[in-house]
Amino acid sequence: MSALGEMRRLGSSAQKGKKDNKAAFFFLLPWFAGLLFITVGPVAASLVLGFTEYNLIQPPEFNGVDNFTRMLDDTRLHHALGVTFKYVAVSVPLQLACALGLALLLDKGLRGLAFYRSAFYLPSLLGSSVAIAVLWRQIFGAEGLINQVLAFAGIQGRGWISDPDTALSTLIVLNVWTFGAPMIIFLAGLRQIPEMYYEAAATDGAGRWTQFWRITLPLLSPIIFFNLVLQIIHAFQSFTQAFVVSGGTGGPSDSTLFYTLYLYQRGFNNFDMGYASALAWLLLVIIAAFTAINFWAAKHWVFYDD
Amino acid sequence: MRFVKSRRVAWTTLLAVTLGAALAACGGGGSDAGQELSKEPVTLRFTWWGSDARHKRTQQVIELFQKKYPNITVKGEFKEWNGYWDSLATTVAANDAPDIIQMDELYIASYAERGALLDLGTAKKHLETNDFDPAALQTGQIDGKQYAIPVGLSSYSMVVNEDLLKEYGVAMPDDNTWTWQDLKAAGAQVSKASGGKVTGVQSWGFNDAGGLNIWARQAGASLYDDKGNVSIPPSVLANYWTYLADLAKEGIAPPPSVTIERASAGLDQSGTATNTSAFATWWNTQLTSLTAASGKKLKLLKLPGEAQAKSPGAYYKPSMYWSVSSRSKHPAEAALFVNYLANSEEAANVLLTDRGVPANKKIRTAIAGQLKETDKAAAGYLDAIKVGPAPRVTPKGASGIEAILKRHTEQVLFGRLTPDAAAASFIKELQSEIDAAK
Amino acid sequence: MTKLLRHVGLLLLALLMLYPVLWMVVSSLRPNNEIFRRPGLVLDNLQTQNYGEGWNALASPFGHYMVNSSIVVLGCIVGNLVSCSMAAYAFARLDFTGKRLWFAIMLGTIMLPIHVIIVPQYILFSQLDWINTFLPLIVPKVLATDAFFIFLMVQFIRGLPRELDEAARIDGCGHARIFLRIVLPLMMPALATTAIFTFIWTWNDFFSQLIYLTDPEMYTVPVALRSFVDSTVETSWGSMFAMSVVSLAPIILAFLLGQRYLIKGIATTGIK
Repeated sequence: MSALGEMRRLGSSAQKGKKDNKAAFFFLLPWFAGLLFITVGPVAASLVLGFTEYNLIQPPEFNGVDNFTRMLDDTRLHHALGVTFKYVAVSVPLQLACALGLALLLDKGLRGLAFYRSAFYLPSLLGSSVAIAVLWRQIFGAEGLINQVLAFAGIQGRGWISDPDTALSTLIVLNVWTFGAPMIIFLAGLRQIPEMYYEAAATDGAGRWTQFWRITLPLLSPIIFFNLVLQIIHAFQSFTQAFVVSGGTGGPSDSTLFYTLYLYQRGFNNFDMGYASALAWLLLVIIAAFTAINFWAAKHWVFYDD
Repeated sequence: MRFVKSRRVAWTTLLAVTLGAALAACGGGGSDAGQELSKEPVTLRFTWWGSDARHKRTQQVIELFQKKYPNITVKGEFKEWNGYWDSLATTVAANDAPDIIQMDELYIASYAERGALLDLGTAKKHLETNDFDPAALQTGQIDGKQYAIPVGLSSYSMVVNEDLLKEYGVAMPDDNTWTWQDLKAAGAQVSKASGGKVTGVQSWGFNDAGGLNIWARQAGASLYDDKGNVSIPPSVLANYWTYLADLAKEGIAPPPSVTIERASAGLDQSGTATNTSAFATWWNTQLTSLTAASGKKLKLLKLPGEAQAKSPGAYYKPSMYWSVSSRSKHPAEAALFVNYLANSEEAANVLLTDRGVPANKKIRTAIAGQLKETDKAAAGYLDAIKVGPAPRVTPKGASGIEAILKRHTEQVLFGRLTPDAAAASFIKELQSEIDAAK
Repeated sequence: MTKLLRHVGLLLLALLMLYPVLWMVVSSLRPNNEIFRRPGLVLDNLQTQNYGEGWNALASPFGHYMVNSSIVVLGCIVGNLVSCSMAAYAFARLDFTGKRLWFAIMLGTIMLPIHVIIVPQYILFSQLDWINTFLPLIVPKVLATDAFFIFLMVQFIRGLPRELDEAARIDGCGHARIFLRIVLPLMMPALATTAIFTFIWTWNDFFSQLIYLTDPEMYTVPVALRSFVDSTVETSWGSMFAMSVVSLAPIILAFLLGQRYLIKGIATTGIK
């Protein structure tokens, strides 16, 4: 423990107060250029469009805050918000827990490591392919794998994807199933923890649990934080899987109507891009609020070596 | 700090450019559709949706056309259905729409009434429509202007699996006289005889508004009135859903979750294609695909209830249309290409019935000899049925009707809404979409 | 014993994870009309014609779309690696005016859903005459618009011990050298992760490729794959699955190659 504490102190002895504006500008040059030429224009345009009625074909017409007042009475929007919150609240912790658990398991010198890693990552490779919808029905459909297994046990299954009571859960499972991306990031993070910390701790007589709590978790915390922030953002924006599985409708009976799916329907199916833009900015505010809370909370649990 | 300042300048310039371009997108079109054809090289962009089989045939027709008019190059852009409409909306918004656009009944009004489509009446010089049935042509008109030329015709039908009926000893109903009750009875016999392995009827009301249109018309009503407002009486709508709900409740149709799963899975996984439902509603032109998928003997029956109906429920629905962008730089050449697609036997010999039984009567006769047995049956069906005038095209703003209908049908089948409540909610939502687009 | 148990558990889990993928492979070897009529993985009638038919089903042979995808993917990987690592170094190690604000803006750029950005962006790119080229897909990556990777690398760099660059700085190294000589080699796992993810996500990205590539000559794999499917007629599922399997091969390969570099972090290079 003493060795670790010393290292921490060493790490925090960085020089403060000197600005590196010139160097920073150089390193950020591509990013500034991208912000300026690619991002700002369309983002600003979408903000402006949020205050207009815009059917994509005719020029936008300014309509003040109509789009925003309309949100108050939009029951499908409220429903979509509920579905999305539920999805975020359940699927993010589940997916991260799976990813972290397997990353830890796979980090140790296990034979066939490369095989397992690939096997667990493979589903994430399929990502948004059209095949996903078909494959998912093979598992959760009325005649799918799950029901065949249940039938062995004498249990009458149901069409899990097409039953409004279970459809959202199957999408959550689908999301958890693709835990490959955060798992890889965790693995990469684990690889970056200097071995010497463990050696030092072992010399101090720390057991495995102590090592995990005192070294692995704190040193991995920036990566856990990253995955948490990004997976929450990602889950709020979740679109493709629901789109592919429900054929773009968010069905059955709106049970998988994610926020972005609703936004997409308004914008492209109903030629209601002004309202869709306003919806996008509401989503931005929601996500930003969650991210801000995350960053605030990070002060209490994320450990940086700088 | 220097870059901060220049950034602000560029920021405003960029915003102005972007929005300016969006505004400019509404500018008028290129040249006049009635002018002489250009002798200079012309490039046209032609976009359609479909599957790989259609892409191949269409590409062949493009090559034939280019051989005939060497100075015109046609660039085909194929997409799948959902991506097609996203892409089309985006390109139209950016004033970058393809010249020739395959159009669907759902979206005609949305694009035409907002000025995105060319009035093909101005291109008469290059585009012949004499061989088309006036009633069919009318389905491509809005306020008297011909915005689109129908490609193929189809009509709603009841597809029956003859092999399944035989297997379970159920008599073939007489489709000249049968009622919706007869369908129920025959379906119940199949479900009972198969022990639930095969259901009598495959439920409908998820993928298109065809069934609903028919139901409304048989009751002497219509989904929309002439002005494009929702006009179906709530009681008619409630009866429609009561009927569907009863089918599921009595085991004549599969349980709702199975029905919905199959409906979203597409044609290949439907009850008809997998031989798990004896009766199902389909567009008559889908018979060929269905037969290929099921491998059994399928037959087209006239719709139930036609004999007792207040007015014929059946009508000819254009499977799709050809239209030309109002902002095309070469409207005359684009019209010429549409003319080739619509009137040339050479093109028809390649396309055959891929886009439906041709709406052009002369072409329909010309290719009759080359059709597969099932395509012949589909073409014959169109002649056999008694049709009324086609319903009004889907009004601007109502292009989302299929999703609204699907959701309400699901809610009724799962018992979350009573048919009456669903009817009220459906009418309210659809009408508010139409009002919002006015 | 526990080791064996762990292997059995992992194997079972792997099988469960892989079932859908295996089903897809099996289906690509079945005749079209059998695919949905028989569940399970038993293959009694192996036939490979779906591969031949699928390969030639669209306007160009399927290899053409794979080449297009490869060009896009390559451009995006190089772009992301260079531009995101530079930006990340600045955010993680340099102190500059308005850093927190810029960082917030950077994160903010990934919070808007693409569907409302795409139309103005299309207008922007069509003004530049970039439609139907790979530029709208690659240039944004070269200009570090993928904030995901910037943030990822920031987190990794912040995890590197500071004393390394402190020492280098005392030795008189400038930021460019610290970045190139010390930080970059140490963040190999992050760079490998970025490369792998960029590969996979770009290879699978459908929406922007659909919108920006209109000419079939320019189509990429995801756009081509969807051209097989039409829910109103019979779809050549066999061909679609066959080509899905074919298009999976490069990403699996990329993953297998890339994951080797995941091991080469500090852990094995060992610093003193």
